[in-house]
Amino acid sequence: QDLAKKNTANRQVVEARRRALQEWLAWRESMVEMLKDEGAEIELNGGHLQTEYDGEVEEIE
Amino acid sequence: MRPILLSGHERALTQVKYNSDGDIIFSVSKDHVVCAWFSHNGERLGTYHGHQGALWTVDVDPTSTLLATGGADNTLRLWEVKSGKLLKTWEFATSIKRAEFSADGRQLLGVTEKRSGHLSTIVVYEINPDPEAEQTDEQSLRIVCDESKATVAGFSYLAHYIIAGHEDGSVSQYDAKSGELLYNNSEAHEPDMQVTDLQWSPDRTYFITASKDKTAKIFAADSLEVLKTYTTDTPLNSAAITPVKDYVILGGGQAAMDVTTTSARQGKFEARFYHKVFQEEIGRVRGHFGPLNYVAVHPQGTGYCSGSEDGYVRVHHFDKPYFDFMYEVEREHAQANL
Repeated sequence: QDLAKKNTANRQVVEARRRALQEWLAWRESMVEMLKDEGAEIELNGGHLQTEYDGEVEEIE
Repeated sequence: MRPILLSGHERALTQVKYNSDGDIIFSVSKDHVVCAWFSHNGERLGTYHGHQGALWTVDVDPTSTLLATGGADNTLRLWEVKSGKLLKTWEFATSIKRAEFSADGRQLLGVTEKRSGHLSTIVVYEINPDPEAEQTDEQSLRIVCDESKATVAGFSYLAHYIIAGHEDGSVSQYDAKSGELLYNNSEAHEPDMQVTDLQWSPDRTYFITASKDKTAKIFAADSLEVLKTYTTDTPLNSAAITPVKDYVILGGGQAAMDVTTTSARQGKFEARFYHKVFQEEIGRVRGHFGPLNYVAVHPQGTGYCSGSEDGYVRVHHFDKPYFDFMYEVEREHAQANL
């Protein structure tokens, strides 16, 4: 019975984390959409100015 | 994660900053000198001389051309990074506690200290990115903080807002064009527990604050809603958000005069790593023997550095386990997206 209790508790922790991660990622996505609508180039480039010599653009978060 | 020790300052560090490529670290201290260092080996690249008092703040523009500093000599100064030449000095009635460029480097803000007869202000200058150009004397904006003095401030995404943290623990949002106060979150931190730091996420849509109330919090820049809270057991001086991995790094510790014992263990002079989303502590890094006054993260997320009351900067390059660490639900998510 103790084991069953522990498993339930663990499952709840994992469920809460799963929810937290989903909420966070959904909010982040909405922010990226907002920045695209606003044409925020520097912000969408991870805060880095795009300069001519930048061969490739690294995507950060 | 063997750190590199930057020893060159004679007094407590107040702020440390990476440039946008992450190859240079700028540091300021109560010893009046601004230092520049190579982040990969800790070699000193140069110093910037001229300030007549303790330095409180430093920031570098996004092209690593211009450096801004401010301190107890009541000046905000602009320097050319590569030559060390002083380009501009703006004078005030009180200390400059914080200087920060906008994301495009075209604006610079300064936070001025409150003193008898002078309220705290946030001032903004338009910056000409050409180091040969004449810089303006005119403030494009001046916000007077009459409720509670501002301690930290910065520009949001697209410089839409200026966000400030205050001595009374509140966080406020101003229109960065008109200076109008749009919203004050008076319950940001515990009442009268000073906001000691405010650092941005890479895209400036959210930021983290550190406070003497022993917590750090993540806020949305547009709503000022608290998204995450990190609870510690020591007053915090600084908080930073790591790119690449979803962590935050917190620094603080009780000053020697505020603790009954002098042991470093009691002082809790450690950098603390928390998971940004799950708000749980995942690790600590020891080393300093005084409170951590500032933590800065490499813009590519490959390391961090901390400046302490003990007079040293410690530079850390992250090892593989740092990048490999994942919660089970993160692994699930990563696998689902393969």
